Formats: sequence, structure tokens, C-alpha cells
Amino acid sequence: METIKTWNFFRGYVIIRVEGLTLERFLNLAANNDIYLWDINRIDYTLLEMKATIDGFKALKEVVKKVGCRTEIVDKKGLPFILYKLRYRKMLGLGFVIFLCIIIFLSSLIWHIEIIGNDKVKTEDIRSVLEQENIKKGIIKYKLDKDYIEYLLLNEFDIFSFLSVDIKGTKLIIEVKEQDLPPEKIDTDTPCNIIASKRGVIEKAIARNGKAVVKKGDVVDKGQTLITGVISDEYSEEQIFVHAEGEVLAKTVYSQIINEPIIKTIEKETGRVYERRQLKIGNKGVQFFKGDIPYKDYIESVREVKLFDIDLNLPIKLLVHEYKEVKKEEIKQNIDLLKQSNHIKAVEELNKQLSSGAQIESKDVGHSIKDNVLSTHVVIEVIEDIGEKSIIDSNYKEDID
Amino acid sequence: MDNKMENFKYNISEALELPKDIVLDLPKIIMVGNIQLNISNHKGIIEYTQEILRINSNIGVIKISGNNLKLKTILSEEIIVRGNIEGIQIIS
Repeated sequence: METIKTWNFFRGYVIIRVEGLTLERFLNLAANNDIYLWDINRIDYTLLEMKATIDGFKALKEVVKKVGCRTEIVDKKGLPFILYKLRYRKMLGLGFVIFLCIIIFLSSLIWHIEIIGNDKVKTEDIRSVLEQENIKKGIIKYKLDKDYIEYLLLNEFDIFSFLSVDIKGTKLIIEVKEQDLPPEKIDTDTPCNIIASKRGVIEKAIARNGKAVVKKGDVVDKGQTLITGVISDEYSEEQIFVHAEGEVLAKTVYSQIINEPIIKTIEKETGRVYERRQLKIGNKGVQFFKGDIPYKDYIESVREVKLFDIDLNLPIKLLVHEYKEVKKEEIKQNIDLLKQSNHIKAVEELNKQLSSGAQIESKDVGHSIKDNVLSTHVVIEVIEDIGEKSIIDSNYKEDID
Repeated sequence: MDNKMENFKYNISEALELPKDIVLDLPKIIMVGNIQLNISNHKGIIEYTQEILRINSNIGVIKISGNNLKLKTILSEEIIVRGNIEGIQIIS
């Protein structure tokens, strides 16, 4: 039924009134002449209202002449009549055309450049590289060469292992994948020292190549040479540079302090919520106040209500501030439990700092209470390899020469 | 003679399972609840008001009574009536 209605709308139809005495004859004649009439309603004894197509209405004239009744057009509906009216409103049509042009023009620009997946490389750096090639907001998207952007960025940043450039609407999305660069390998031919990467007490120094300059029990600082690649001969003045290699195990100390108040104020929600709406246009906001916030203590949370169900960053936002009333309660915590939980927290923190090959030697836990605050001090001693290769500076070499 | 011919047609339509409204030139009346009525193969409208609609057909005058009757469509083969239909009477 709807399809017929739509079809009629596009073809245009008229609502007419027919006045006469032999209206049944009129209907029969119309039907016999294949004139399509619909929605016929008898308003009065001498009055019929019906709908007819434009062609149908023209064809009705003969029937009307035969039957001897009068017709009157009540309303004209449909697309042809709207177009006919528009003929006399050229400016409206022009405005519509301009509107379409603006829409097409604006939607063919890049309005937003989104860069996803970069962790180590700053977004600004990528943007500045793009800007040098005149790729920025406001350029026409059809002129963009995706392959060129990929080529450009992959060349500029070695760290990117994968890059995809995509245009979605007015958004340019650049998705990158960074690879984990392996730590710089020093060629085995290059002379180098092994230095300490952190403070510690030497447990064992095994030099596979080069000469160990520290022994067990030595305290070393960060950066101190452990195994030197500079070997001097006792009998000659000449010095040989080698690629030092070996393991230096040292005892290092990690410590962690966790403070936790014994009396804790807990904010308990009472369940009462007060809402306040804010309309944000750009950076300016309009708040719809409804008096002061009726609670003494509250938690504020802001959530955004999407005005339109589209994935677009519109400058108009409707924010709802929710104020949840809370009741402050002071709770004295069980000290033994608190000690345990502090201990666990501290160990967890320390585990994050440890390197993979580390062996825990000893652990020391101490608790102290001061001003209602329980502080737990955990110290662990670890044996680990603290050696780190460092290239012997060529300047240093020359100095010696 | 005429009756014989009708009988013959009836028998043929029975035997060949042909639709009788076509073979015997009878009106076909379809009702949808009490809100819509389709009559195909009619022979013209005799009277139409909002309460009473009389349609001519081969089997006589079909009288439809009700209120707020409207003619949805009129074609040379079919009439669709909408409204609150209360009664149908066939006057032959």
C-alpha cells in the first residue's frame, strides 16, 4: 500500500470534489473509461470527494460532460506540483544548489588527522613530518597519495614496522605498529669495556675476554669499569684493545616503603544522586543551575551525553555532572592484616623492578607505626649480572697512543 | 437452452478444477474481517452512500450495509470497499 502511495506522490495527484445528482453513474463511467480513482468518500447526498491522477483528471472532463455534474479541485499534491511551485522560487533552488555544493566541498576536505598506535614516537613528530609535505588539516582528500604517505613515514621513522593510511569520511587515519628495536649489539671486533649498570657489591667476576679489574667484595658504582678491554703488557709499553666479555655477578639492594594510614576514612555512597547539566560549545560552557549542591560531601563525575548517534567529534557537547552523596566514616583497620597487605604490595612493586635473571638472596621486612601511619619497609638483596658493554672511545685510544 | 449451457460450464469447471468465477462469470467477493471488502467482476455501482452500497453483478444486486463506507478503488473489474461493514445481502 505504501509503495502505491509513494508512486502516486511522485506522479502527482489531485483531490477533487464532484457535485451532481447521478454520482453513481459518474463512478461507473469513470471505471469503464479506465480512469483510476481512489479514496472515494461520500460527503453529502450530492457531493463526492476523491483522488485522481493528473491524467485521470483531464480524462474526467468527458465523463463530467456526459453526466452533467461539476468538479472542483480541493488540493494538489505530489512532486510535480512542488516542482511547479519551485519554478517561481528560483532563489530557493539556487540556495539548495549552493548548499549541496558546500556540503560536497566540505566533505571532501580532511578535517582531522588521527594517528594511532605510536608509543615511542611522538604524535607531534609524525604530524610535523606530514606538515612538511603539506599534509595537514584542510587539504582536499582526493589529492592525497596514500602510498606516498606510507613511503614517507616508513622512511622517516625506522621504528615503524607496519603502517596503514586510511581515509574515512573527513578523517585521515594513520595506524602504525612500532617494532621493539633490539638493544644495540656491539660487534665482537670492536673493543669494549664492561661497566656496571648499577650499584652493587661484587660476588663474582668472570672474564672470558679482557681483564677483570674488580674482585669479590668490591663495592662498585654505576658506570665503573668491571672488565676492561685494555690490556697492557708488562714487558712492553704497547696496549692491546680487546672486546671484553664476561659475567659480573653482584649483590644489589632494592627497597620499597609502603605507607598506609591505620585509621582510614571511607567514603560511602548513600545512593542519593544530584544531576546538573551543562551544554558545552567549543570551550565555553553553559550550566543549567538548579540551586546549590545539596550535599556536604560528594563525588563528582562527568559523563557526556551524545546528542547525535554518530562517531564524530562535534563542538557541541552535553555534559551531565553527577554528584553522588557520600558519608565519611572512619574505620580503624586491623594492624596485622594491614602489615600483611603492605608486605604483599611492596613485594609486588619490587618484582616489577627486578631484571629477569635476578636471584633473590635475602628479604628483610620491617614495620613501624608513626602518627597512625603504618610504614612497611621491605629490603631485598639480589644477585644479578650488572655488566653492560660500552665501546672504548676512539679518543681515549688516541690519547693513550 | 441457457440453463443447459450453464450446467455444462459448471461440469467442466468441476472436472478441470477451473476457477468458477472465471468460467461462470461470477463475481468474487473477498472480505477481510469487517473492515474491507473486495468485489471483482462487478457490473457497476447502483447506489453509494456512507451507509449503503449496492453493486450490480451477474448474480443480482449485492447490497452492503455498514457505516463510514469508503471506496478505496474503483476499476472496471474490481471495487475495494473500506469501512465498518455490518451486512451483505444478495438480492437476485
